Amino acid sequence: MKGAVSQIGAGLLSIMLGCVSILAAAGADAAESETFSNPAVTARLISAEDGIAPDAASVSLGLALEYGEGWKGYWRTPGEVGLAPKLDWAGSTNLKSAELLWPAPERFEAFGIENFGYSGRVVLPIRARLEDAGHPLELRARVSLLTCSTVCVPHDFELSLALPQGIGIDTDSARQIATYADRVPAVPENSDIRISVTALDSRDSALIVMATSDTPFGKVDVFPEFGPLVTFGKPDIRLDRDRTELWAQIPINAWTEEHAEPSLTITDTARAITAPITLTSDPPAPPFSSANPRASVLKVVAVAAIAFLGGLILNVMPCVLPVLSIKLTSVLKATGQTRQMTRNGFLFSALGVLTFVWALAAALVFLQWIGVSVGWGIQFQNPVFVTLMFMVIAVFAANLFGAFEITLPAALQDRLGASSARAGYISDFGTGLLAAILATPCSAPFLGTAITFALAGTSLEVVKIFTALGLGLALPYIVIAARPELVTRLPRPGRWMLLVRILLGGLLLATAAWLLFVLIGVAGGRVAAIVSSLTAVFIVAASIQRANRWARRAVLSACVLLAIFGAGFISMPNRTTAAFDATSHWQNFEPLGIARRVSEGEIVFVDVTADWCLTCKANKSLVLDRDPVRARLRGGSVIAMQADWTRPDDNITRFLERYDRYGIPFNIVFGPGAPSGIALPEILTPQAVIDALDTASVRSLARE
Amino acid sequence: MPSLLPEKLELEALDRPKGFRRFIAGETSGSFDAFVGLDSPDSVDVAARKAAAIERVSADICGALYGDLDMSNARIPLASFSDYYCPFCRVQTKSFADMTSKMPDQVAIAWHELPLLGDSSNLAAKAALAAKRQGAYVAFQERLMTSPFQATPEYLARLSEDLGVDGEQLVADMESPEVARELENSAALAQVFAFVGTPALVIGRTVVQGQVSDRMIRKIIDLEREEGWDLACVSA
Repeated sequence: MKGAVSQIGAGLLSIMLGCVSILAAAGADAAESETFSNPAVTARLISAEDGIAPDAASVSLGLALEYGEGWKGYWRTPGEVGLAPKLDWAGSTNLKSAELLWPAPERFEAFGIENFGYSGRVVLPIRARLEDAGHPLELRARVSLLTCSTVCVPHDFELSLALPQGIGIDTDSARQIATYADRVPAVPENSDIRISVTALDSRDSALIVMATSDTPFGKVDVFPEFGPLVTFGKPDIRLDRDRTELWAQIPINAWTEEHAEPSLTITDTARAITAPITLTSDPPAPPFSSANPRASVLKVVAVAAIAFLGGLILNVMPCVLPVLSIKLTSVLKATGQTRQMTRNGFLFSALGVLTFVWALAAALVFLQWIGVSVGWGIQFQNPVFVTLMFMVIAVFAANLFGAFEITLPAALQDRLGASSARAGYISDFGTGLLAAILATPCSAPFLGTAITFALAGTSLEVVKIFTALGLGLALPYIVIAARPELVTRLPRPGRWMLLVRILLGGLLLATAAWLLFVLIGVAGGRVAAIVSSLTAVFIVAASIQRANRWARRAVLSACVLLAIFGAGFISMPNRTTAAFDATSHWQNFEPLGIARRVSEGEIVFVDVTADWCLTCKANKSLVLDRDPVRARLRGGSVIAMQADWTRPDDNITRFLERYDRYGIPFNIVFGPGAPSGIALPEILTPQAVIDALDTASVRSLARE
Repeated sequence: MPSLLPEKLELEALDRPKGFRRFIAGETSGSFDAFVGLDSPDSVDVAARKAAAIERVSADICGALYGDLDMSNARIPLASFSDYYCPFCRVQTKSFADMTSKMPDQVAIAWHELPLLGDSSNLAAKAALAAKRQGAYVAFQERLMTSPFQATPEYLARLSEDLGVDGEQLVADMESPEVARELENSAALAQVFAFVGTPALVIGRTVVQGQVSDRMIRKIIDLEREEGWDLACVSA
């Protein structure tokens, strides 16, 4: 109630038991009723005119409401629960009719229930028509309205207002009524928003809406109205690139064929439309990814800095460390390189990193362009990609264990052995490329934020942020390129190198084993077995010293081709929910059930994971599968849902998008105290999870 | 956003009804007119029935609040007042239901319907009470969690099937004088205790209006056990 009633004489608003007082606007014979007031709501009847002018047949009124902090009132369609305000004019004189108008509502989400209404200040404009034009008007309005916070308090009171004959405008009241009359949704003829499609999906489970607008949409929401027996859940609203086309899907919670005449209201920042609608079948598919607001320059810079840092950290993550080690081994081996050659080699590696990152950015921009939703690490959902990665890493590991020397075609090999640098540079470049490719599944801390931001932004933002990421990842190479003498600080070659090689080989072997594990998840055990056998054949064939060169090449090529063919074409086994055994406390992921369960007072913990996500695995073994968190998740008070994104799954992608995430791990907790969810950091700590569970379980005042 | 969860157990004796006291819970208690409901002005007949109900419950407050709860084993009685169309009521009903299943020897709950919100509320309240007679009160509340209540025969038949109750019995009970009387008693209790809205709650002899944490509810239960909650009933 602060500052909102400045026009009222001072000191009148003591919060007394239903205190009712007659108020006078400063210095004017204001056209307003007495005030009904309590902590939940303050209500007055106001009039734009001080009196009824001669021949005037109508008058503009308003029901001015001010809801207390934390209190809400309802729209004409309140949503699943609640009740719309009602006015009864019985006992008024010279009143022919009074039409209540409804400014565009806000959406409230409390306890998992969708409600539509108002908070803070609102004026409901009223168009009153007189029986006898020009004669005095005596208004008596019996108002019933419901206000809810965590308690629902109904109010039932009378307001009266007398307008004698006379001329004069109460400018303050007139301005208030006009302001809110402007917020009443326009009819289709007066709006530049055009609703083009309203369709029910095949199972009557959702309403699909499409609309276009000449001016770009800002903060947009949709409110279908089908009478009191049809209720809806939270809409999924998407805009196209220039924000002039809207696609929305609104889940249906309760449906009946005997619904009222349907209408649809679309609200945008400062405009709204209400239109009657006709339902069609054959709903259009979602055409573009979810809407995201534009970002400021400062934000881009900040996120780029985060991406740079994230890229740097990636170097010490288990997926990338082996590659960096390959690079260092090559330096250890290479004696007698000139300073310039070392410098160039490392520059080429850095270029390799950046090339991959840019290629990735280009691919992402292209996919964004054609409207495919993409995620970070998603390439690890592709069996061919995983197969190739596995083979490369396994062969590298075998090489480090001394199974064979990687021999490039003779012509190249000569140059490599000699001081010719070109082939060396190619392998340097390849090293960088490999490092970047392998980095992707290790969504390091900070990185998720940056990638998410980039994927949601414009093409230019994608390029900027990925470049920053690439520079971070390439920093070690760039540093050595800048000061090649650092290489000379490395100890002289000797027996210790063997140890280093074995250590690095072990690291690579571990990476290969993990990739094989991912492959089992992505393509099934059979494919993984075939690929690993072919890789073994490859390594053996490569190790045989005196084999015919052509035969060897044929075998090696066949192995690679067969492996790719196997991964790509052997049918994948269906990884159904069989993965969720009865003894596990993890349940299947049901995004649509979350709101309902929260409204029932349950706490829901969602873990989005995938076999190719190392950080997810770490979270699982270090936090989620250990006490105290495990005990909490199993204790019966929490529903633990696991969403497996090892393979592309549209439901999960959409769920992530809703929370502005494009990479995993993603963990979020819902509960009566946090109906909109508490997103957890990518690297979990037991304390963070327990705190979020506690916060979600304690019901504080409903937040919007 | 001010939290409505005061963590201090502050109590204030009530003049009426005697022997009861109010838990001081932030801004939701006091400052409001006593609960009136959203009815049209009463007819003479209705007013008389209401007056009779107030007299009836005032004569035996504890009986009206807790009815025939089994109070053996030193259980503490808890009366929950809710409206099917109030968002937080659903949450509270569920959490009390959980509480009784977790501590069956410590609390017993009497469910009261206090329909504030017009016809749908009234009908849903009748159905809830009819379901309660067949032991399906909480199931009814859960079943209607995201769907509006409808009073059509087809709907009620389907609902009964879902709840596993006898449909004909449910429809008959909805219109029975017992259910009507139960609603009148709950409304009269709300008047007597000056509730301002739903959900509302009486634990033993402590009145709670508005949201409190489960921890605080347990504290009050412990306090009632220590002090003897039936003091109020003896003095009534």
